[in-house]
Amino acid sequence: MTCGGGTGWDNHAGVVNCVSTSQHTPSARLSKHEDSVPQPSTKPNPLCRELTGLFFASPWLIGFLLLFAYPFAASLYWSFCRYDLLSPPDFIGTANYRRLGAELLAGERFGLALWNTCYYTLLSVPLSIALGIGLATMLSWKIRGQALYRTIFFLPSVMPVVASSVLWMWLLDPRDGIVNYALSWVGIDNQLWFRGASETLAPPGWFDFGSKDALALMSLWGVGNFMVIYLAAIGDIPMQLFEAAELDGAGRLRRFWHVTIPMLSHVIFFNLVMGMIQSVQAFTQIYLVSEGTGEPAGWSLVLSLHLFLSAFQDLDMGYASAMAWILFVVLLVATIGLFRTSRHWVHYQGVVR
Amino acid sequence: MKRDRATPLAHTVVVASAIIFAVPIIWMVLSSLKPGTQLTEDPYSLLPVRWQWSNYPDAISSMPYLRYLRNTLVLCIGSVIGSVLSCSVAAYAFARIRWRGRNILFGIVIATMLLPWHVTMIPRFLLLRELGLYNTLAALIVPTFLGDAFFIFLLRQFFLTIPEELSEAGRLDGLSEWGIFSRIIIPLSKPALTTVALFQFIASWNDFNGPLLYLSDPQKFPLAYGLEQFISSYADQTNLLLAAATLFTLPIVLLFLLAQRTFLEGIATTGLKG
Repeated sequence: MTCGGGTGWDNHAGVVNCVSTSQHTPSARLSKHEDSVPQPSTKPNPLCRELTGLFFASPWLIGFLLLFAYPFAASLYWSFCRYDLLSPPDFIGTANYRRLGAELLAGERFGLALWNTCYYTLLSVPLSIALGIGLATMLSWKIRGQALYRTIFFLPSVMPVVASSVLWMWLLDPRDGIVNYALSWVGIDNQLWFRGASETLAPPGWFDFGSKDALALMSLWGVGNFMVIYLAAIGDIPMQLFEAAELDGAGRLRRFWHVTIPMLSHVIFFNLVMGMIQSVQAFTQIYLVSEGTGEPAGWSLVLSLHLFLSAFQDLDMGYASAMAWILFVVLLVATIGLFRTSRHWVHYQGVVR
Repeated sequence: MKRDRATPLAHTVVVASAIIFAVPIIWMVLSSLKPGTQLTEDPYSLLPVRWQWSNYPDAISSMPYLRYLRNTLVLCIGSVIGSVLSCSVAAYAFARIRWRGRNILFGIVIATMLLPWHVTMIPRFLLLRELGLYNTLAALIVPTFLGDAFFIFLLRQFFLTIPEELSEAGRLDGLSEWGIFSRIIIPLSKPALTTVALFQFIASWNDFNGPLLYLSDPQKFPLAYGLEQFISSYADQTNLLLAAATLFTLPIVLLFLLAQRTFLEGIATTGLKG
């Protein structure tokens, strides 16, 4: 590869050297915001710059083309095909999407998986926001041993998911599990957790914890990542705000509600978006606790698991691709929707960075 | 930082929360040292009736632990090298070189972070299989040599904080762009590179989905996936299972405790500026 352009570049120098050759014109590059400054005509060959940039970006660029762009296009095409890997993809129009629509209306596989995913997301995301803020607030208090508590709260979130799944399957064992034992002290008996199909959000079963509740509990235990972000953001809140509120006679609770929470709204928003994306995409722990089946009775068959099984167990690549695209579009619309609402409740001003 | 002086009530709440968070791990470690019969006959007693340290050698010998460990280390080291190399080079292109297309491509980098893995999973699997990587650890390592959006973003943010004058001085000394990158930027970026190496090591150590998709030969399983095989075949020996899980978690916990600062700062930075 040469830099060309008839400027007499040394071919041996190669792409990465071409910008350095321009050292005769340092003034062209001293400005930090080159884009907005009129460029002297002696600036380094623009083609050279392009090639240098592309050269440095090339590992990512190759990865993007092979692992994102091509798969993106291929899965879109395959979502309109019947494709079982044994024979080439066979175009069948929107049949996969119509099948998904029918399953959705009937509440069968795809409909069930969508419901399970929504349930898990709606349960775990708000609770993780509340818990993340709660723990971070506690850590911002003047308490001896704060570093130790921070480590304790954070540690579960780095625990390998295989290990934490093993651990929680045992903690939530319906017969011998320590959680049921602790719950029995407060009069809540015989929870089925990972073995149960009931749903807490549904009114008749307030204290019937099923498999998705167990998964949400597991995700709450790993809330440390978000907690750390909240903690950093609390540290960034200007102290004058608290002092002003105190002078106005605001008590501890009102300061929390009217100063801390609004000043954390940008992190709450981040947590909401990322939490939603993560919950919808959650796979490993769900695969592990249901032994790769989504059992009992399909109540932990979330979209990710259903998609995986359709693709690699049933070899129904077209159907799985169509599902992936629906998931992608729904997630995209939900994210855009959240960004739209954020204008009304997220405050960015006054954040010290 | 505004800090309210903690009341005794607040103190109690913090201690109670810490206990709730710590109990699962403490319970796991203690139970991994109990005799198997204690777990079924008296599941709620905290301390082992007999400290059965032999659970650990037993857990190791009941599966090809050392081979799994070797595979895991190959995977982790390969991936760390791949990520650090590819992501630092790409981040340099997005932070320190002014070229057209840079902003558009960097926007695409960010966009790929938001793309659900479901969309790319199937074609990516078939492509890597087509390249002959199915059932090799290379299927899991090669993609790390092709960049990762999150790490590129993290390194780019760091590179942006290095004063442009340093690059300028390098240029005046006749360094090529590659020379500036490797002799000036990289040595100054050790903290950020450490963060990337650490995150990638842990991601590879913990990775379950990759082996689930790409590996079929038990000889090649890393620990995370090997451990899962152990769950189903030794369901009645929970103490051994917990010993294996503890052993698997231990290096990550130690790594975290050693590099706690790097960790927490890495997360806080990317979270807030993201």
